[in-house]
Amino acid sequence: MFDYFQSLGIENFVGVPDSTLKYFLDQGLKKNKILIATREEESIGIAVGMSLSKSHSLVFMQNAGLANSISTITSLVQLYNIPLIFLVGWRGYLQGDAPEHRKIGKIQPSLLKLIGLKSKIVTEKNWQTCCKWSFKQISNGFPCCLVIRRTSL
Amino acid sequence: MNRKDAIRLITKKVGKQPIVSANGYESRDLFETSDKKSNFYMIGSMGLASSIGLGVAIKNPKKRVYVFDGDGNILMNLGSLSTIGALQQKNLVHIIFDNESHESTGGQPTHTTKIDLKNIAESTRYRVFKTRSKNGLQKILNKIQNISGPIMVIIKIEKSNKVSNRVTLNPINIRDRFMNHIR
Repeated sequence: MFDYFQSLGIENFVGVPDSTLKYFLDQGLKKNKILIATREEESIGIAVGMSLSKSHSLVFMQNAGLANSISTITSLVQLYNIPLIFLVGWRGYLQGDAPEHRKIGKIQPSLLKLIGLKSKIVTEKNWQTCCKWSFKQISNGFPCCLVIRRTSL
Repeated sequence: MNRKDAIRLITKKVGKQPIVSANGYESRDLFETSDKKSNFYMIGSMGLASSIGLGVAIKNPKKRVYVFDGDGNILMNLGSLSTIGALQQKNLVHIIFDNESHESTGGQPTHTTKIDLKNIAESTRYRVFKTRSKNGLQKILNKIQNISGPIMVIIKIEKSNKVSNRVTLNPINIRDRFMNHIR
């Protein structure tokens, strides 16, 4: 998936690591193309600066970080309409996930809908279509979100 | 020296280089003093000016990118200092207008009354300069022209007695003119 994003034209990958995204991040780190920031809001800020420089950017994070980022999404990304791809690991998707993930995992779909960030859930079958869809969104000037479920504990 | 005095001195040196300016009075004073297409005015997302500036700096290595930040603003995003310091971003100049207060919300005190940002920034591998006077600021501005970053300039300023008007441009307009200017 990392290589595929690169081949589509995504140049910057900034964020805070999540175990759901481990393989994606390993591939990016191997290519020395991952910038890890201290918090998700900071990551979004950096990616916004890159996008303002007309360089396509993706921000990765766990859904706990999505919760941290609501104000940054509404008062920066959406206010200025900055095209960015959010790649979010969905912890709390499975009922037996650790307690700290349960609440945010449960409200995540409605949260994305509520803030008006278009999103798709990535599966083994549709991941290429999802990547292409997200690239089309940012090429048309809109931010969007891809969600990867944590399907094993 | 108040914020506008400092901004007047700095913008003379900045020329056409990009400025990312924090929400609150930094952006308002910059807008009133020296509005340019190369200024990115933040309205919301407090704390993130240095991060946006870092993103711009990474992608524009031939430009010198200036960040106009406040003490309350940077204290919300100290993690940004560690990222900028770790990357040793050469073309980033981070200016802190430190009035030791959250002026735009009614003047409540910030921790810079008790904590020295200079020490924090130096430990994250910034080159740090600090001043209270116009004369001191002028000397620093001349000096940093030939020094590579990340550079931090901390300017202890007085609280303003007059509040500048809000930035009247709409955000999409701020975005478009900045993007068109930068490339």
